[in-house]
Amino acid sequence: MSIQQPPDHGATTFESPVSSTGAATVSNGAQSKKQPPPEKPSDVRRRSHIILAFWLIVLCLGLPIWWRTTTIYRADLPVQEMLDWADGKACRPVFPLRISIQANALQEQEAQNLLRLTQHALDDLNDFSGHHLRLQLAPPAATENHDSESVLTIRLVPGDTTTAKFDPHEPMLDITYPPNAIPSPTSSSSSLATYVAGQLRSTFAEEQATISHLLSTNAIPSEHRPQGLSPDVSESLSKRTTRSVKYAPTYHLTFSLFTSGPLPSSWDIDGAINEYMKPVLDVLSPIHNFTIDTQVQLYAAPGVHSQVLNKEDLSSFINAAEWPLSPSIGGAPTINFIVFVGNQTIAAPSQGPGEGDDAPGSASHSWLIPQWGTVYLLSLPDDTTRLSSEALKQPLLTFTSHLLSLTGTPQSGSLPLRLSTLARIRSADLLLRASSTLGSLARLALALPSISIPSRVADGVSKTMHHLRLACETLGGPEGLAHARIAEAEAERAFFEKSMVGQLYFPDEHKIAVYMPLLGPVAVPLVMGLLNELKAWRKRRREAAEQGAGKKKE
Amino acid sequence: MRQFLSFLWLSLLSISVFSSSAAADSDYHEQLNLRPLPFSGLLASFNFRSNTTVSEFEKGNFRFFPRSLGQILQHAGTRELHLRFSLGRWDAETWGASPWDGAREGGTGVELWAWLEADTDKEADHKWLTLTNALSGLFCASLNFIDGTRTTRPVMSFQPEGDHSTVTNMHLLYGVLPHEVVCTENLTPFLKLLPCKGKAGIATLLDGHKLFDASWQSMAIDIRPICPPGGECVLQIEQTIDMVLDIDRSKRPRGNPIPRPPPGHELPCDASKPYHSHDTCFPVDHAANQEWSLSQIFGKPMKGTCPLTDPAVPPVCLQVPDSRSVFVSGGVREKKNPNHISRCFDIPPSTELEMVLPAPDDVTAQSTVPTDIVTPKSPLLYAERSFTGHGQERGGVQTILRNPSPDTAVDFIYMESLPWFMRIYLHTMEARVAGHSANKSSLIQQVYYRPAVDRARATQLEVRMRVPPASTVFLTYDFEKSILRYTEYPPDANRGFDVAAAVITVLNKGQIQGEGESTTKSGGGGGDGGTTKGGRFAAYTLRTTTLLCSLPTPDFSMPYNVIIFTSTAIALAFGGLFNILVRRFVAADEGPEGGLAMVVGRLKGRLLGLLKGVKGR
Repeated sequence: MSIQQPPDHGATTFESPVSSTGAATVSNGAQSKKQPPPEKPSDVRRRSHIILAFWLIVLCLGLPIWWRTTTIYRADLPVQEMLDWADGKACRPVFPLRISIQANALQEQEAQNLLRLTQHALDDLNDFSGHHLRLQLAPPAATENHDSESVLTIRLVPGDTTTAKFDPHEPMLDITYPPNAIPSPTSSSSSLATYVAGQLRSTFAEEQATISHLLSTNAIPSEHRPQGLSPDVSESLSKRTTRSVKYAPTYHLTFSLFTSGPLPSSWDIDGAINEYMKPVLDVLSPIHNFTIDTQVQLYAAPGVHSQVLNKEDLSSFINAAEWPLSPSIGGAPTINFIVFVGNQTIAAPSQGPGEGDDAPGSASHSWLIPQWGTVYLLSLPDDTTRLSSEALKQPLLTFTSHLLSLTGTPQSGSLPLRLSTLARIRSADLLLRASSTLGSLARLALALPSISIPSRVADGVSKTMHHLRLACETLGGPEGLAHARIAEAEAERAFFEKSMVGQLYFPDEHKIAVYMPLLGPVAVPLVMGLLNELKAWRKRRREAAEQGAGKKKE
Repeated sequence: MRQFLSFLWLSLLSISVFSSSAAADSDYHEQLNLRPLPFSGLLASFNFRSNTTVSEFEKGNFRFFPRSLGQILQHAGTRELHLRFSLGRWDAETWGASPWDGAREGGTGVELWAWLEADTDKEADHKWLTLTNALSGLFCASLNFIDGTRTTRPVMSFQPEGDHSTVTNMHLLYGVLPHEVVCTENLTPFLKLLPCKGKAGIATLLDGHKLFDASWQSMAIDIRPICPPGGECVLQIEQTIDMVLDIDRSKRPRGNPIPRPPPGHELPCDASKPYHSHDTCFPVDHAANQEWSLSQIFGKPMKGTCPLTDPAVPPVCLQVPDSRSVFVSGGVREKKNPNHISRCFDIPPSTELEMVLPAPDDVTAQSTVPTDIVTPKSPLLYAERSFTGHGQERGGVQTILRNPSPDTAVDFIYMESLPWFMRIYLHTMEARVAGHSANKSSLIQQVYYRPAVDRARATQLEVRMRVPPASTVFLTYDFEKSILRYTEYPPDANRGFDVAAAVITVLNKGQIQGEGESTTKSGGGGGDGGTTKGGRFAAYTLRTTTLLCSLPTPDFSMPYNVIIFTSTAIALAFGGLFNILVRRFVAADEGPEGGLAMVVGRLKGRLLGLLKGVKGR
């Protein structure tokens, strides 16, 4: 309707406002311009529809697509449950130890009575609810074969005096008692019962202390924790746990002969191992497998060259840069045993190594490197070309005793008992380790909201928790160890998931640099259009209200 | 009497050398061979070999065999292993045939091939991955980058050197890293594998500064089981280092390594020229007649012998004609070999060996053929390879193969493993004899070709060929360069991509004809090539140089440019469309005053007002 006019210079318009030749002159003189014709209501409606449509597309299509394509996959983790495991709320480690008593010489009645009294005495002595000794009477028929359910069998044999002796090959305790020591059915105390209880208590004292130490170092609530671990005991226990190698089903033993010169260049290590170490390895075989390799290295210079080695020198003695002591590649942790032929000696034990806890004679030749292995210094005549098996006896015996402490075997008691204790300590250790790994994973997932959590991690977590639950139920038994082992392995796998660790560095500035060129120019007209439309809509409403008011006045 | 004794010595020595090389029954030996080459080169071949019985190996008792490597072999089920670290180019035109007949040589970079025991291909791949990763850690090399795209399974080129009669399910895998730069960090683990480390024996001469300053060097590790007749099977590890040192360069003092022109009176002049006088000098082309000593060349004298080494094998041998005199330090016994071109030295333990080779007496060399060094044997085949063509889309490869022999044809297998981004056109492959146009078909006898799969597998090309006597053959083919993805380019993309050396295996005639005649050992290598049976599969092995293929490289800021450009275009289009849809159009005088016109108008009005005010005053 309105016709495009020839371009009018602004200045002319300003200087001579009256010269405009519009058809519709404005009544109030201040407004010099002519107004556009009023818009049709259909046009106005269409415009708001257009703006609404654009915004709908942006909000309903654009935003979800953007969200979907840039989001990071995070599998659901049972975070609270994981934290419960880590805090020890999910499982209360209880070790019910069954001890059977064989008393073939006693009558049923007497035996029951003795058992009751001993149990009483034990309960009085015990202050740690997690570690519970329960006595039971073995059926008299099973005289010889050892009951697999029970941890220890006590054989009561009549004798002259009260003595106790461990069977060296089986978990059995032989106790002899004088005939007058049988308690009468009415008496409430008995010296024999107290004696047996005391024996049991001292036998399991170390295990109790170790387990309670394990629990106390992990975040187990204090009500489950035993009191009364003296700081002395606690310190020695923590020393021992830090010394022992991380649990693995298989250990790789590497025996190395290092010599400072060209001789000796061979050794009879095979025979020496078979003779001195194999028996112990066989005994340990239910818990650990061992693979063995040996090597001879000539011209090996130690990291310390002084003649007398001080305590500080011992830690830097291993020349890690030059000695080929690379760990085995099979996945099993390696324990190194090194015989170093040279003329160096260790300084006197008075000021000397705190590590040398064995017999003083061996402490002056060898030392134990926590979680790594042992070094044995051997001085030989210069012209020895071959080390015989006899010359290796002392080093190998030292290695054997160090191997036991490196695997974390307790130090008191008979060997079968020590091994079953080792299995229990290991399962508790693995259980706690897996739980704390779960806790770390949960805390990690909470702390880094931008880290991706693949579904494999969730699988691993659920598998871990399943096995943890099973392990917790069967703690103390062999299947408990197996479950704890699986749980620990799964937890480690979930925690060290590769795609989770490799978090891409993608800074926010980067995102802005990529989004701005598109979003800026697109967003400005959209937002301005919306704002203008809102303004116009408000104006229309006000005008309508004014008109309505005017009509009313009329 | 003395002569008789020395004769006895010589015969004893030769018997011991050959028997030890044939039976390989000693547990450890080491030997250094020095051979002066034309143009003041010196080839030093270090060879260390140790054996362990298979039963001891399986029990894990390591004495001479390195435990770190033994564990890797056991873990990855490796029956035989060959590893090469090489640098530089063997100049066959000048230096002749390469040592060990090329059996201990590798292409530039790192090369690895191994026979693995596996039931399926997949299992073999898995073990190969384990092997490369473990070796990568042991040798501080990027061997873990040998992935599927760099691994091939050669069909014709390699045969196991060891005795594998008991094993049937062996897989050969071959991987190569041409881009790897071999350096000191690879030498240190190499020396750690030796029983005497670098502390005694010939290994004391090995020094990273000298080794990697050499014109050409190759470090090799070969592990193979060997079953001597009637004896227990042994696993043999042979470590070899060959290097060609430039005597001029090595003699430069370490503190002052910059070469400077010698003063006039020290210039070696060719006195045979007619214009030679006290003020005119025609410099002698090569300085082969120089005096050198062991400590000058290697930076230090040799420290004694390794006490474990087999005493029957002399630790150092020098290959010069008997006519030249050699001075050695006291206590060292010199023994001349019956072939009149080499001599060996017996060194008592804990004696430092220093050796001086004085310049020959006839310094004014009249003849062009030097008589003061052993003339190098010419190789069976010369090969060089280069790129042809131009542009970023297509290219070609041309290999020139020359048979120097006047009367015998050479049969060989030419193997290339090309990266997948070089797509070769097999139909363009042709071989022609220089000067002849016909007779193509008889040159290429057999082709094995396994095409590449993008980003998954390399091209494998093995060609069995024959080059007629005294002729040159051109083997050419064309290829297309593919465009890589943005993230597939290395950081230095404009440098180009290394293409691995081609492996040329010259077949042993006796082996082919099945006559079982034992091959004559080359006199140059100074030992056997590590075989026990008569007749090796390969008579000679050589490798071409690596090539540098330049691919079209993008501008790496491209993604951001693309993002910004397309965003701007979209934004412009969107803004215009949106405004047309939403805006209302009115006549110019009907619209609200605004924009630039209003600002300008307001400014003008104010200026006019000011002017009026000035005038009015």
